[in-house]
Amino acid sequence: MSKVMTMKEAISRFVASSDILFLSGMQHGEPAAAIHEIVRQKIDHLTLVSALVATANLLIGEGLVDKMVTGYAAQDTRAYSLAKAKAMNRLPVFEECSHFGISMALMAGQMGVPFLPMKSQVGSEMPKYNKNITSMKCPFTGETIGAIRAINPDVGIIHVQRADADGNAQKWGTMGVDTEGINASRKVIVTTEKIVASDVIRRDANRTIIPAFRVSAVVEQPFGAHPMHLAGCYSGDMWGYYFDTGPKENYDTYVEKLVYGVKDWDEYLKKRAEMKPAGYFENFKIKPVKSEPIITGF
Amino acid sequence: MNGNNDNEKYSAADQMAVAGAHQIRPDDVIYVGLGLPFLSALLAKYTHAPNSTIIIENGIVRSTVFDMPRATDTLGSQFMSDQLSGLFYINTLGQSGHITTGFIGAGQVDRYGNVNDTCVGDYRNPVHRWSGSGGATDVISFCQRTITMLRQNKRRFPEKVDFITCPGYLDGIKGQREKAGIPPGTGPSMVITDLACYTFENGEMVVKSVHSGVGATLEQVKAEVGWDIKVAADVKDTRPPTDEEIKILRERVDPKRIWVGGKRQASKGQED
Repeated sequence: MSKVMTMKEAISRFVASSDILFLSGMQHGEPAAAIHEIVRQKIDHLTLVSALVATANLLIGEGLVDKMVTGYAAQDTRAYSLAKAKAMNRLPVFEECSHFGISMALMAGQMGVPFLPMKSQVGSEMPKYNKNITSMKCPFTGETIGAIRAINPDVGIIHVQRADADGNAQKWGTMGVDTEGINASRKVIVTTEKIVASDVIRRDANRTIIPAFRVSAVVEQPFGAHPMHLAGCYSGDMWGYYFDTGPKENYDTYVEKLVYGVKDWDEYLKKRAEMKPAGYFENFKIKPVKSEPIITGF
Repeated sequence: MNGNNDNEKYSAADQMAVAGAHQIRPDDVIYVGLGLPFLSALLAKYTHAPNSTIIIENGIVRSTVFDMPRATDTLGSQFMSDQLSGLFYINTLGQSGHITTGFIGAGQVDRYGNVNDTCVGDYRNPVHRWSGSGGATDVISFCQRTITMLRQNKRRFPEKVDFITCPGYLDGIKGQREKAGIPPGTGPSMVITDLACYTFENGEMVVKSVHSGVGATLEQVKAEVGWDIKVAADVKDTRPPTDEEIKILRERVDPKRIWVGGKRQASKGQED
């Protein structure tokens, strides 16, 4: 069954105020187009679960995030998104763990177990301030071991290179915490560079990271991860983005013109190109290298 | 003077990168983060450790050299790696004891090698905030040896850190890490600053070598530490970079000069 819809529809139907939201990417292929749409729809009181999602700063700056569960929280209020949130009294509460802590919490969520044991975060002072990190006695050896509580986000959003209309989604390149994050999520929105025929998926099915029956919506959105890079598709402009959303004037211009000033991502891409020197998007073209196809059949 | 004098041949940051490279053994599996550790790891691969393996937290395992990236995860750092996975997989390699050497940065480091990447002052009402652990807590907990790199001053070298983000030897009591649940046979092995290299004796940091080649002195080193630091019996001058090492750093590791003086230079456009 096709679940293809517009970004606007996918976000309004499946992301709600007060949701725990997982954002995929960890710098590689972040769902930037989806993040812009959440901001446009002003879906608020979110709890954000992520690892290093650079483009999530807009959600914070627009005051939409109550809490961030993360291993790396750029909390330096010299970044205007944070200063703005603070000024509005909308600075998120940060629930901190290590990167592996985030991964393990999501993995526990994916596995359907209440927690997972792990050997880091213990000995640090993070457990003092994060009630979801603790230590326990190993039931087999009696030795002390750390533990982290499972997280099951209400909704997870992932951007991938290709998916079919039903939602079978394939991503390659680095995976960050994508696999466990998206599989731990109760509802899943897949945004994809390209919708391909199901047989394309099925000829290389090891690459599928979440199957169609787990997916609620499929949105085709070329350049959907820009300004981040996406393996096999385009390189990125992360540091340019930091600059464009860093200082106050830049941030204000960015959200006014490129988020609220456009109706969708295609319009964003057009406007972004107009605001940048000629050839901006051509800079991100890659020299494609093809791998040898794997063989299937019977 | 702060040991930062850029003499003609090399800077304090170059000395740090080279000292880091000297810590890498020929067959090491190296868990690296952005900045100086990347320079160290790549320099080692071009010189004495071509068979070492570089591990990057986003999910990259690679045994070949690559162009110095502006961020940990770029198409360049992904391209032609041996394995692309995710953060979970990378850390399970560490947790099960397969990563030999880790590199981390630090906001503060203390007498027992504990690292603070979280805050200065009270956690709930901090005077200053850093970004938090990222992968650093996992690196120092899992790697057999962890090397901490930071610029040194007295504020960044307190006797006890305000917040333990990454556990070193905690209160310096033998067995304390293991008792807390951290794998045995792990822990900080060296701290490298712009002034000196430090090792650990019975869990306590000691001055091992002084970067005299960039003008640092033992008096200066001791003045920039927040406690009466011990000095190793065999303290010496840090082995300075050779001309060949500097040439490799400039021409092969970072020909575009993305990392100069330990800092990332502004990007003029797309990532590399």
